[in-house]
Amino acid sequence: MGSLTKPLILVVVIYLLLKFVVPNIPGSAPLPSSLIFLYLMLTVAGIVIYYTMSGESKDAFWGPIQRFLTGENIGALQTARYAVLILFPLLVGWQTYGSTAVSDAPPPENRTIHPAPPGEYTGLSNPVAKTPDNIMQGKGFYAAFCSPCHGGNFDGKGPAARGFNPPPANFSDPTTIAMLQESYLFWRIKKGGVGLPIEGMPWKSAMPRWEVELPDEWIWKIILGEYDGAHQSPRTWE
Amino acid sequence: MAATCVTVALLVAVCAPIYAQESVAVRAVMTKEPMPLDDPNAAVWSSAPQAQFPMSPQVHWQNRIQEVTVKDLKVRALNDGKQVAVLLEYADPTEDPADAAALEFMVGDTKAHFAHGQPMAQVEGGPVNIWFWRNKDGKGVDMSAKGFGTLKPQTHQDVTAKGAYANGTWKVVFSRPLTTDHPNEDTQLKPGEFINIAFAVWDGRKDAAGDLVEKGSQKAVSSWWYFRAEAPPDYSGYIYAVLAMGLALAFQFVLIRKLKKGQST
Repeated sequence: MGSLTKPLILVVVIYLLLKFVVPNIPGSAPLPSSLIFLYLMLTVAGIVIYYTMSGESKDAFWGPIQRFLTGENIGALQTARYAVLILFPLLVGWQTYGSTAVSDAPPPENRTIHPAPPGEYTGLSNPVAKTPDNIMQGKGFYAAFCSPCHGGNFDGKGPAARGFNPPPANFSDPTTIAMLQESYLFWRIKKGGVGLPIEGMPWKSAMPRWEVELPDEWIWKIILGEYDGAHQSPRTWE
Repeated sequence: MAATCVTVALLVAVCAPIYAQESVAVRAVMTKEPMPLDDPNAAVWSSAPQAQFPMSPQVHWQNRIQEVTVKDLKVRALNDGKQVAVLLEYADPTEDPADAAALEFMVGDTKAHFAHGQPMAQVEGGPVNIWFWRNKDGKGVDMSAKGFGTLKPQTHQDVTAKGAYANGTWKVVFSRPLTTDHPNEDTQLKPGEFINIAFAVWDGRKDAAGDLVEKGSQKAVSSWWYFRAEAPPDYSGYIYAVLAMGLALAFQFVLIRKLKKGQST
């Protein structure tokens, strides 16, 4: 089996690289299993081509496989052979079933939670001064207009939140307003769920379009109150 | 092996209550029994899996309401290849003439906002189809809307509805043929295909002054979930799997024969 060890190790190492190392390279992402499968098939094809280039290496490569599949008096390997011969068709059948059977799950939803805002809503600075008075006023507006869904504790768990899907944002979670600029919040509050681009699935959002009810100044004050109440700071570009 | 079985059984036991509590889809399973088109209490309903959806007071647009009676909605559905029937079940302490419930669907492939298909800034939306029932009317109304203030009954009525109140619980059944002749206004149900569904409920109680508490936009609502009329069982996946296994076996057979031949020469 000696000459098969190297190619086997190579395949395993490539798999581990693709599965665990590549996703951790900055700027990368986990690879879909179909892509990993494709890369492994390419690797195997490369190995087969390499070993069949000369007669010698071809025998060294195929010899052990041939012995494993057809050899006699090979002891425990005989059991392994039957296991492989039974498992291979089962695996093929299982894969085929998995890829052809009718799915029972609703269509997957890849909703972008914080899609890019329209150009006119990037880089606006809050025209309302961050004074204790304005923050207090903002919290008052928040309590009146936002807290039914986003919660008195800024945690997205207001009394009206339960029926909505997607759920209202939890501002105390560091992945929501702490990652966003005040300008972004101004856009989201003013234009509401229906202002989202298609990747934000605007048809599902219950966020009101507050521009029809609240003056801009109130919205800016609400933003001050939100950050203060949720103990977060807006994202800035250092 | 035994350990695996125990683990799987435990996982199922732990997960089952979670699934029962919150759902993402209503499945209108196939039935061969007569469809309970106007019978909320028919025994055949127990053969349909129950989905449960949380409801919110409608706070998305004016006029809002901050507190509503109905907080959860149980939904079952059946189809027989021609008709679909949907059963809503919810707790309501009193039976009132103005008690009402509605189903909402997107129409065709165009996305529509769950709030009556109101316009969206960056996406061209479509209309919604609403099936409405009210206790005092005793019938279903087939309606269309595309934006606030545009809700109106259609000129062709395809929906029937019937409610039954007992022991503090409303059971309301809506039914309609799976497809209609008006694909631009009515949702069309193709067996096996997921579509979007949303719900609304009004408790028709009155306050001390004799005014309705829940009316118009002041109601309990859900946002979009999924609905599917199940197709007859499809066994093609098994057939393809057996074919593939046969091919794999044949490949092994040929390979070993070839290798053995190679050895003997």
